[in-house]
Amino acid sequence: MATVLRPLSDRVEPTDPEAYLELLMNLTRREVKGRYSQSLFGFGWAVAQPLATMAVFTLVFSRLGNISADGAPYPIFAYAGLVPWFFFLNSVNSGTASLVQYRNIVTKTYFPREIIPLSQVCSRLLDFGAAASLFAVLMVAYGTRVTPWALIIPLVFVLLVAFTTAVTLLTSAANVFYRDVTPVVQIALQLWLYLTPIAYPLAKVPARWRGWIAANPLSGIVEGFRSAVVYGREPDWSLLALSGALTLIALVGAFALFKGVDRSFADVI
Amino acid sequence: MTAIRLDHVSKRYRAGRSRTVVDVIASAVERLRGRERDVYGTARRQIRATVFALSDVSLDVAQGTGLGIIGPNGAGKTTLLKLISRVTWPTSGRVQVAGHVVSLIELGAGFHPELTGRENVYLGGGLFGLTRREIDRRFEEIVQFAEVEPLIDTPMKRYSSGLYARLGFSLAIHSCPDIVLVDEVLAVGDAAFRRRALERLRQLIAEGKTVLFISHDLWNVRRLCDRIVWMDEGRVRASGAAAEIADRYMAEVNVRAIANEQNLLQSHRGGTGEIRFTDVAVVDRHGRPIALVDEGAELVVRARYQASSQVASPIFQVAIVDVETGLTVATATSSSSDSPVLESTGAVDCIFESLPLRPRPYVLRMTITDAHQLVSYDVTAGPQFAVTATNGTTGQSGDEGVVSLPYRFEHAARVLS
Repeated sequence: MATVLRPLSDRVEPTDPEAYLELLMNLTRREVKGRYSQSLFGFGWAVAQPLATMAVFTLVFSRLGNISADGAPYPIFAYAGLVPWFFFLNSVNSGTASLVQYRNIVTKTYFPREIIPLSQVCSRLLDFGAAASLFAVLMVAYGTRVTPWALIIPLVFVLLVAFTTAVTLLTSAANVFYRDVTPVVQIALQLWLYLTPIAYPLAKVPARWRGWIAANPLSGIVEGFRSAVVYGREPDWSLLALSGALTLIALVGAFALFKGVDRSFADVI
Repeated sequence: MTAIRLDHVSKRYRAGRSRTVVDVIASAVERLRGRERDVYGTARRQIRATVFALSDVSLDVAQGTGLGIIGPNGAGKTTLLKLISRVTWPTSGRVQVAGHVVSLIELGAGFHPELTGRENVYLGGGLFGLTRREIDRRFEEIVQFAEVEPLIDTPMKRYSSGLYARLGFSLAIHSCPDIVLVDEVLAVGDAAFRRRALERLRQLIAEGKTVLFISHDLWNVRRLCDRIVWMDEGRVRASGAAAEIADRYMAEVNVRAIANEQNLLQSHRGGTGEIRFTDVAVVDRHGRPIALVDEGAELVVRARYQASSQVASPIFQVAIVDVETGLTVATATSSSSDSPVLESTGAVDCIFESLPLRPRPYVLRMTITDAHQLVSYDVTAGPQFAVTATNGTTGQSGDEGVVSLPYRFEHAARVLS
């Protein structure tokens, strides 16, 4: 075997990006396998979670709180918001603890550290897919019309994944340094659910607070999904653009921060 | 061509525990009460203390070198490998490597116990930078080398720790590394696997790969490596040709062991006490006590004694005992006619003209008996000393046994021609 003489380098691993992509896929697969092994209901849980919350929301907000869904049936209105919400919630929750959970490989081998929180986000894509396919069933059941506006779904979906990734990168890195991040994130997520127009439409928010709710990138994303599939009408482009801009800033910022501190992960974890 | 270059590299770690807000407040209260220690009993100056795992290490490793890294625990050996594998980064200085580094710091760290061996090979391969296609191509080879064929589709939680490590080693070694870092991991495998692993590492060196090998087993280090770096307290104590550094290291380890055990051995004492040793030393030509003696050189034991009454023609005996095995390697006995009637104090030298002993630590057992060797006046442990290897006079480092006999090989063909 001929040995190629390589030059000295400060850089890490000139290895194939393909190999790292594969590592991401492998870790994702491992995550999914681990989550649903020794479980009777398996993937059903990915659907049960938004479905149960939808039932509670329908009872509390629609029947008791008398919140109208702007002409759409409330259950399908709530479910359309809950599917992206649970993707965000579960990714951030498991992503936050992920680097610490994988400490034995973080302290033993080198690979780009962001692969670990990214694999958590990717593993939730399957849950998202399962929950979303039930949405199709609901649409048929409620006789919701499909319009050409459904074509903006991929755009909104990309925003959702990008924003989720940004938050997960930040919380997972912070959690390496301070374990307090895990409980803080859990509390923050509980509040976040109600600061996002999921149980209620953004239009029902009093005007003086609407700006603040709109500054939450998830607002534009949830409203975007709804206008595409629940109402079948043109989305609020300015809201979506604001959400897109904030998501981009969050993603770039989170990635830069992550790469700024990831060298010390093995020392402090 | 250089494979690894460390340029004035230091690595500092925080020594103290991480503190919660509650700890900080509790400690502040303790300080107000005038206590010097915090709630954990840690002195204040220790809280912010840092330790240097490595300080100012510079190192150049040429491509195709087998480099052994030896030294006591906590010397910074593993930190050195972690810096090279980019798991951690230096506090100051610069680390450069050429090519793909594979680190065998803990075998099978990336394996998931619930998944089968096959699934883990594919999963873990990614950690070493292998793609699915590359693993497909080498799968048979990986499994065969680890000898886990019958269990490859069994969850790895059913594997023994040795099997676990074998599959980890096999996977790592098949990932086409340019630089392999091995940290005392071969200890888990059985003898046959260890031999095969060493053979494989040697083959990699022969192919021009660079292997860094941490082990406390100097025997394996010397078989695999042609150069050794000796680490001590985060610094490079010495580096150079493997044989030379290994001998210097062993000599020092022996000297330390001797210093620790000296007092202990002196306390065991028997005999009737008419005459006793007061001081026994191994001395050099100038009469100064020494602890190291070259293999094959002269050994002088100088014993002082004190007689509490007149003792007629006592016999002195010096025995050389192998510290590790307790085996008496050789004895020297004076004849009764050598010594006249002894009273009060005196000294006697016992001179071994040459010491053809294997390099390792020895202890002297000193005895004084009556002329007929029926009554022993004094039995005591003398000083320890270590025999050190000298180049040229010794045989191969792989020689065994108690004594080093001078030898040479002559091929029959040479005689015939």
